[in-house]
Amino acid sequence: MTLPSSLIQFSGHHYIRHRLVLSILSGKPIRIDKIRPDDKNPGLRDYEISLLRILEKATNGTVIEISVTGTALLLKPGIISGGTLTHECPLSRSVGYFLDPLIMLAPFAKKPFQLTLRGITTDDHDLSVDLIRTVTLPHLQLFGISDGLELRIKKRGSPPAGGGEVHFLCPIVKQVTTLNFIEPGKIKRIRGIAHAVRVSPQFSNRMIEASRSVLNRYIPDIYLYSDVYKGEDSGKSPGYALSLLAESTTSAIYCAEATSQPGVAPEDVALLATRSLLAEISKGGCVDERHQTLVLLMMVLGSEDVGRCRMGEPTLRTIQFLRDVHSLFGTTFKIVPAESSGSSNQLMYSCYGTGYVNVNRSLA
Amino acid sequence: MDDRPHKAHRPSQSGAKAEKKKGKEKQQNSFNEKAFAPKSGRRAERQGRRKVEKDQTRLHVPLVNRTPDDEPPPVIVAIVGPPGVGKTTLLKSLVRRYTKQTLSEAKGPITVVAGKKRRLTFVECNNDLNSMIDIGKIVDLVLLMIDGSFGFEMESFEFLNVLQSHGFPKVIGILTHLDLIKKAATLRDTKKALKKRFWTEIYQGAKLFYLSGVLNGRYPDTEILNLSRFVSVMKFRPLVFRNTHPYLLADRLEDLTPRELIRTSKGKCDRTVTVYGYIHGTNLRLGTKVHIPGVGDLDVKSIAKLGDPCPLPDMNSEKRRKLSEKKKLLVHAPMSDVGGVVYDKDAVYVNVPGSFTRGNADVPQGEGERMVMDLQDVNSTLEDAVARSSIKLFGSSSNALVVEDNTGHGEHEHEQHSNDGDEDDGDDADSIISEDEAFSEDEEMEDDESGPSPGTSAHTGRSQRRQPTRVLPSIGKSSKRDIEYAESDSEFEYNEGDDYKRVRFDETDNHIPSDEDDDDDDEQDADNDEDLPKWKRNISHLLESSSSQRPRRRDWTKLIYSSDLTPAQILSSNKEEDSRESEEISTEIDEFFHVKKSDSTNDDETLDQTKDPLNPRALQQWEDEEMLDSIRNLFITGASGDADEESEGDAEGASFEDLESGPVDTTNEKSRADALAAKKAELKRKFDEQYDEPSSSNVDFYTEKKDEMARQLELNRAEFAAIEDPETRALVEGYAPGAYVRIELGDVPCELVNHFDPTYPIIVGGLLAAEERFGFVQVRIKRHRWYTRTLKTNDPLIFSLGWRRFQTVPIYSLDDHSIRMRMLKYTPEHMHCYGTFYGPVTLPNIGFCAFNTLTSDAPGFRVAATGVVLDIDRSVKIVKKLKLTGVPLKIFKNTAFIKDMFSSALEVAKFEGANIRTVSGIRGQVKKALPKPDGAFRATFEDKVLMSDIVFLRAWYSIEPRKFYNPVTSLLLSDKNQWSGMRLTGQVRRDEGQKTPLNVNSTYKRIERPERRFNPLKIPAKLQSALPYASKPKLMKAQSRQTYMQKRAVVMEPEEKKAVALMQQIRALRKDQVARRKEKKSERREAQRKKTEKEEAKQLEKDKEKRKEHMRAAGQKSKREAEAEEGRGSKRRKT
Repeated sequence: MTLPSSLIQFSGHHYIRHRLVLSILSGKPIRIDKIRPDDKNPGLRDYEISLLRILEKATNGTVIEISVTGTALLLKPGIISGGTLTHECPLSRSVGYFLDPLIMLAPFAKKPFQLTLRGITTDDHDLSVDLIRTVTLPHLQLFGISDGLELRIKKRGSPPAGGGEVHFLCPIVKQVTTLNFIEPGKIKRIRGIAHAVRVSPQFSNRMIEASRSVLNRYIPDIYLYSDVYKGEDSGKSPGYALSLLAESTTSAIYCAEATSQPGVAPEDVALLATRSLLAEISKGGCVDERHQTLVLLMMVLGSEDVGRCRMGEPTLRTIQFLRDVHSLFGTTFKIVPAESSGSSNQLMYSCYGTGYVNVNRSLA
Repeated sequence: MDDRPHKAHRPSQSGAKAEKKKGKEKQQNSFNEKAFAPKSGRRAERQGRRKVEKDQTRLHVPLVNRTPDDEPPPVIVAIVGPPGVGKTTLLKSLVRRYTKQTLSEAKGPITVVAGKKRRLTFVECNNDLNSMIDIGKIVDLVLLMIDGSFGFEMESFEFLNVLQSHGFPKVIGILTHLDLIKKAATLRDTKKALKKRFWTEIYQGAKLFYLSGVLNGRYPDTEILNLSRFVSVMKFRPLVFRNTHPYLLADRLEDLTPRELIRTSKGKCDRTVTVYGYIHGTNLRLGTKVHIPGVGDLDVKSIAKLGDPCPLPDMNSEKRRKLSEKKKLLVHAPMSDVGGVVYDKDAVYVNVPGSFTRGNADVPQGEGERMVMDLQDVNSTLEDAVARSSIKLFGSSSNALVVEDNTGHGEHEHEQHSNDGDEDDGDDADSIISEDEAFSEDEEMEDDESGPSPGTSAHTGRSQRRQPTRVLPSIGKSSKRDIEYAESDSEFEYNEGDDYKRVRFDETDNHIPSDEDDDDDDEQDADNDEDLPKWKRNISHLLESSSSQRPRRRDWTKLIYSSDLTPAQILSSNKEEDSRESEEISTEIDEFFHVKKSDSTNDDETLDQTKDPLNPRALQQWEDEEMLDSIRNLFITGASGDADEESEGDAEGASFEDLESGPVDTTNEKSRADALAAKKAELKRKFDEQYDEPSSSNVDFYTEKKDEMARQLELNRAEFAAIEDPETRALVEGYAPGAYVRIELGDVPCELVNHFDPTYPIIVGGLLAAEERFGFVQVRIKRHRWYTRTLKTNDPLIFSLGWRRFQTVPIYSLDDHSIRMRMLKYTPEHMHCYGTFYGPVTLPNIGFCAFNTLTSDAPGFRVAATGVVLDIDRSVKIVKKLKLTGVPLKIFKNTAFIKDMFSSALEVAKFEGANIRTVSGIRGQVKKALPKPDGAFRATFEDKVLMSDIVFLRAWYSIEPRKFYNPVTSLLLSDKNQWSGMRLTGQVRRDEGQKTPLNVNSTYKRIERPERRFNPLKIPAKLQSALPYASKPKLMKAQSRQTYMQKRAVVMEPEEKKAVALMQQIRALRKDQVARRKEKKSERREAQRKKTEKEEAKQLEKDKEKRKEHMRAAGQKSKREAEAEEGRGSKRRKT
């Protein structure tokens, strides 16, 4: 009765997030096997299970089968339903780990997403909620997803104990617009958020000062905010971090952040963040490395027109992502060195959008 | 003196006067502004309003048209109408008009060139509803044929309704058989009546053509010419569904299954089939599934773009304004067998009627036969011919071109090379390169090579041209050098196995033997087999040397999509290069990379993270002031080296820039000039942007949107135009509309081939990714007002939705106060309702139509319902009402025991707290189960209930549509209009001869309602006395005694008596008068009645006569059809 949809095989635990996302968006079932088969703790980790849980909650009709050993996974995607959701993230990964795939799915849901996530808000592995709010969400605006797009940081939570809470609101769209972003522009402003919870509030000011000592030479339009959370809202563990972003005249955004390490002075953390921001800026391009996959995905899902974007060289994740996009959506990117890029190794990514229309959106 | 004629006036030809006059004349001819100026304010206002209205009619919702303008696919023109109306005649007439050829048999799509920018595909639609649906989904222009002597037939209306639900394409009505109406007045009336009906169906003012009789088996040429003119200027608005899906109308179908397989499986195996046609709609991408209506979803095995069988005249072939006669002869109709030649991807098929023998000169030979005979005439091979002829490439060259056999392996070939080298003089070898690899592939690369290594410049002995077919998809040609291990392997394999002729110069190879000596240069010549192992062994060395010698440009597309390297490998090879490059620059960075390498070995566990870990040591470079200053130009405050950013235009900045860029660019004058021109253009654009703002802001929203679309379309065209390799291009953007492609389909049911009938159109519709899935589809549906029966929930219904036709069982529902979706047993009359069924996912906002049956023997109008898709989901929330009833067992004050509602205490427990109600409207609640009668419970009410009350509990029971999906596989049948799916229950019973089961409890009986007697309300006297007056019962006994007025006696005076008597008399007279009048009236009425009766009888007679006349006409028509059928063979079927 049901037509046998072609099952797509993947192996390994790497890139599991974007594979799940692509499967749900394309509607093609996938099977991922050989998930840490040789590890002393084989199979899926707790945060991966948690991710599968939240994906199941956010969709309707999704069937997830995990083998007994946990080393294989079968996903038959349903439709993205959205709506109000609450999820407790495990303390092994930060909220950013879960938000990353959900941001890709949220615009194509049936109902606008109202997601509450609890857990660690800033850590070393994934984008902190500050950067997601100030950098990732503006990237979605390039594709016409803007009204009602919001990330509210209710409480901050530092590792290891967490205790943070964020609200993510995302509108639904019928179709994302085609991107044509080839002019990186020049940096016109720098913003930053320094926060310090359950430590001396002076820490954030110290970070700001250290960062300004480097950045002041470039442009005057620098605002670094000290974000204060008190009492209950400041989570369960002490910690501080500085996240910086530089915006260009064509609203290309570069970002960097550094978090507190034991035994490291806040000034050093600030300098680390500042320098990595400068490194990002020097790399150039219209989209930074961390948002390559998001932007490329939205380009694939755009209307049946040619979208173009100028970026740096693909990262590991991006290369695998492009391959997975090819196997699930059939879209191939044209990647050529950007003209007028000179010595810098910037590339022009262009593709023909698949004309993806939000099927889930109801008309009634 | 007087009779002398006056001298005629001669206007002066020159001088001031003449000048003046000339000026006047000119003025008279020019446009007079005052002529159209409004004379009054009111008129001016009216004119202004009219202008605005006219402007508004121009506006439509801007839609992107994805069909390319330069090479559009042919316009699909379908000829639709009931049988015997003259469809084939019209088709032949039109083909004759365009191609000057008379088709003996017109089957399947026929493509002709109609103009310099337009091709037409004619397709005749038979009378099967399946064909009409399929044609309706793809057709651009419908020629709807109507028998003028008969009028509209049901099929035409059905077809129009199908069109309406699948996006309304253009329709031109054509009235035929008008010569059968003899009387001019009748003809006029018929035309008028039919036009009126047609206009109400399409739109007011829709074009209706009149074709008179048939001459020589064709319609009159002038009328066809007029029709073709209308067709050629027709504009088409993109339809949403077709503008989002690729599709093609297959004009050819070939079975590629191995014959042996068919034989062994007795023709029952699944087939591999190729279909051919022009792509319409959007780009056909690789990896899309297709749906063939009437067959099912199929996997595309491969797509190949073929040469256009019916090409549009291009600039080279056609420079004239009009189409030449030669172009007019082009017709592509593989199913109709025009000319008998069929061109495939790699073969040409010649169809020969009957037996074909050579030398039989009296039989007229077709194009194909002549071709075969010409081939037979050839005595020598091409090779010989080339060998015999002595072609010199240049007039000065001493040796002629030589054909050389290349069947041997590389070794043999190599020997030959060296032999050649020995033989020749060796003086002019290097000057001429004929088919050299470097020459044929990339000159730039050649330059690259020749620079660093002197050995390679001499090495030009590669004489075999590389085949482009197996080359991996690449964008930039220069990237050829970046051959990776796996990739080059494949090339080796290829070149080993091939054998073909080649043409080369004798004296080119001079230094061939030296190949092996310097092969640790960047020598990557894939020709020499012997080099392979060595080359491979030295690969790292090679890589190193090459990377150190020249800057590498990596072909990312190739690396990512067509190499087997892992992402890490791709990046690490890149890093390696970088490190080598930077090695010379600084040792600090080198250190960093060592650290990185050691990192990458053990970071297995932390890979799935967005942020790469910060490396403080790598960032240490930013402590350096110089480094910090180096990126100043990336900020708006920093001075820039970029030309385009310095737009201020002040003289200082410009001169400064020139100074800076001067020394860099002096080497290349031209590029500098180009840069300057680009800069100027940029400045001009900026200037325009700044100062032309008022005029550009005047542009309204509509124009702005249109411009935006045009820009995007231009970009779409331009972006991939640079890719020359067609395979890569197809990979990136698919096959554009207008391309003639061959699609290979796997696992096609054998019945499609076995029961193939060219009169049934085969449509290949591309599916979007979402449309391959299944789910519950919610639609807004309305029963068609001409469909006579109501539709019942859970009755099977055939939907035509998207590309598909399928049978499924819908559930109808209505939104109940936005609280719940409530199931409806039947569709409401004249109202939309919701329908939910299980089926393939379709994008919301796509229209559909539904049928109960598709067979032609069904009486009446077959379109059962129409509607639009609203929502797709994996679950549904439809409920139906369930009422549980019970009766009181025992009644206390406000509490009562209720029985007969549930059967067990467990059920009661489930419903504790539920609201219940009596018929009289007393509300209550379920409390707790009673121990004794099973299922009885205690309930409380807001008032005391009666024993006679019925207590009911209203509940909602959720239901789900049955997961039944049955595609209509009409094309697989031998008798294509006899498809039958799931039958209705009544149909099954009728077929099986069963009676409808009759449940005794369900029969309607006469309802006996005994009169209820209520006891009088008695209020105790004590209570009565305590009540206030207003509340006291005021019912009193009737008065038994007579009143004064009743019992008094009246005595009249004589005067009074007289008056009373008079009044009595007058009344009597009046009465009599009225009676007489009444009698007369009835008499008159009787007469009138008789008269009308007579007239009615007359009218009846007349009607009878009329009906007789009509039936006679119908009879004549059918007789004529029967005759025509007999006369012209079996091509027209009467169904």
